[in-house]
Amino acid sequence: MKLEVKDIRKSFGDKEILKGISFEVESGKALGLLGRNGAGKTTTIRILMDVFHSNSGEILLDGEAFDRKKVLIGYLPEERGLYPKRKVLEQMIYLARLRGVDKKKATENSMRWLKRLEVDEYAMKDLETLSKGNQQKVQLASTLVADPEIVILDEPFSGLDPVNSQILKDVVNELIEEGKIVIFSSHQMSYVEEFCRDIVIINHGEVILSGNLLDIKKEYGKNQLVVSPVDGDVVKLKNWINDKLSDDVEVTGHNKTDVIVKLMDGVNRMKFFGDLSDKATADGIEIEHFETYKPSLNDIFVERVGEEDKEHEETSEGGEDNE
Amino acid sequence: MNKLFTVIDFELKSYTKNKSFVITTLVMVVLLFAASFLPKVFDMSSITGVETKSIFSGSDDKDEDKDSEKEDGFYLYYSENDVLGSKENVNEIFAEVGILKKAKSKEDIIKKVKSQKAKGGFYIKDDMHYEYYVFNAEMYDDTQMIFETILTNLHKQNYLLAHGMDISEFVTEYEAIPEGNVNILGKDASENFWYCYGLVILIFMLIIMYGVMIATSVTNEKSNRSIEVLVTSIDAKYLLFGKVIAGTFAVVIQAGSILAATLIGYGINHDAWNGKLDMILDIPSDVIISFAVFGVGGFLFYAFVYGAVGALVSKTEDINKVAGTVQMVIMIVYFVVLFSLSKPDGMIMKVCSILPVSSYSAMFVRIAMGKVTVPEIIISAVLLYASIIFIGWLAAKIYRMGTLRYGNPIKFRNALKYIKEKE
Repeated sequence: MKLEVKDIRKSFGDKEILKGISFEVESGKALGLLGRNGAGKTTTIRILMDVFHSNSGEILLDGEAFDRKKVLIGYLPEERGLYPKRKVLEQMIYLARLRGVDKKKATENSMRWLKRLEVDEYAMKDLETLSKGNQQKVQLASTLVADPEIVILDEPFSGLDPVNSQILKDVVNELIEEGKIVIFSSHQMSYVEEFCRDIVIINHGEVILSGNLLDIKKEYGKNQLVVSPVDGDVVKLKNWINDKLSDDVEVTGHNKTDVIVKLMDGVNRMKFFGDLSDKATADGIEIEHFETYKPSLNDIFVERVGEEDKEHEETSEGGEDNE
Repeated sequence: MNKLFTVIDFELKSYTKNKSFVITTLVMVVLLFAASFLPKVFDMSSITGVETKSIFSGSDDKDEDKDSEKEDGFYLYYSENDVLGSKENVNEIFAEVGILKKAKSKEDIIKKVKSQKAKGGFYIKDDMHYEYYVFNAEMYDDTQMIFETILTNLHKQNYLLAHGMDISEFVTEYEAIPEGNVNILGKDASENFWYCYGLVILIFMLIIMYGVMIATSVTNEKSNRSIEVLVTSIDAKYLLFGKVIAGTFAVVIQAGSILAATLIGYGINHDAWNGKLDMILDIPSDVIISFAVFGVGGFLFYAFVYGAVGALVSKTEDINKVAGTVQMVIMIVYFVVLFSLSKPDGMIMKVCSILPVSSYSAMFVRIAMGKVTVPEIIISAVLLYASIIFIGWLAAKIYRMGTLRYGNPIKFRNALKYIKEKE
């Protein structure tokens, strides 16, 4: 199965929330839908779920108009929503039946998922009596109870301790292995990196970055290298590079162990390595580690969204000046 | 359709598994059913007018007299010329109020009333002049009136005796009552008044109570965000219709079982009650049927309105802000119908019985007490049920629009605007 979202636009009153969102995701793969708060992720998901209608654009499944009545979707909303005063099993059966599962199968599925998520002992308890983490697991069990083909998870890890997070990770990996389409929205980039082959970053209702995560990382790491000192004094190394190697590289950042540098135009990594080696030996600087920079998704997100926000602010200010 | 039944089943369980709902219903059923057996357990002849063999009615009369004298106190009288005649005669007439004892003098009466040894006293100068002494005058004290009746009768007797007339012959002729039977071929408004009064109050209470419960149920789904999952699983109109229909079933179960327990209990003990509660509980079947048709219709009408109200707010504490106008309409209908019970065929009731906002209450009153034609009933019922379909459709639209709009309550005008814009 291949789900395609094509040029979706949505306005509420005079405000345009989505300005042409497009992406695609296939069975057995997970897509990371990323963006700051208010970027338009939830609106995109709600249009996908047919809760809102888009003003224009289309959603296709295997090349045909997406009919939500024919395909089961499991949706875990960011704002958790179940009945606090009803029994766990009772409401899971109810939600399964609303999605067209018969009562017997709904009961079996409910118990299977509660057991898989290790909360079956609470089946006959009122939801409000469970801890936040267990309520979260019940919510996930309710999302999967009807055995959906498309699973949309909005911030599934919030409120979970490391042990429960591991259980959830295993479940998500199983879903991907089973060939489900998984759309994963989260601010916890490490989880997105772990599950998602592709990502879409939305900002101010527009897709500002999308594609294969490995390719994106490679592109962002292009011409960038990391250098680490033996003595661990990153600041000293950073200042030394700025002082002695400014013709070869530009320091773009540093972390606890490494200095990140970008090659200047016309400089290749062998020339930089030679200059670094010579000058370091001369000045008594010992280099421990030298390799291609592989940015984290968090780095990419902060950089890309930061740039976009800067441009957006400038545009807004320019607009205000004109007025 | 299966999904609608699933929603109804789930929502109905939220009532039937609610402890307060179950306990209230059971307690009311048991209490009212048990209350209907009261005349068989206690001596209630003062109410029913029938001496029944009650479990707790075997006490000694003399003891009772003494007790009542102790508890209720007694009255004193002193007559200048012994106008009242024999004490037995006086006490017989005065028994309705209490015991009448002869005082030594006028001063004796004042002294004992002041010290509250006696409840009151009468100083009688002659059969046309007297003085009544009482320590604290009650709001509704008919003692004086009864005593005056005694004196009036004495005066009449004295006059007849003085003019040589036969008292018994005079009384027989003077107070002769023509014998006649009233044959009501239509409806007896006075007989139907009380159960109509009761049913008007009942339907008003049910709409207000359950309407708010339905609105709260909708708002709760918004505030606990379960609506986020629900609207992605099922068409929103099924959710609202399911809630309203489940609420209606709950009303029928609760009110029906309470009413049935009362009517069955009264039916079993009808003779013991001597038909004293017929005016409230002997409801003709045509009135019960019309109450069911128009009552259920009215409930559905307002239940959909309350469902829409619930969708317009995000917090349960905001429900009353939005429901105020609806409640005002229900209150106005309630008072207008209640005050028009004595004129069931007046213009106000005719209009109220046709309008869908009020026909649920006014029409069965007209059926029970007034002159309403079959075409009028049919037109009113058709209008009511057509309005329910329209209101249900509109409420479902509002529900669908309002469910994912959080924050401040949405104004009804804005809700209609958003629906028109089509999200």
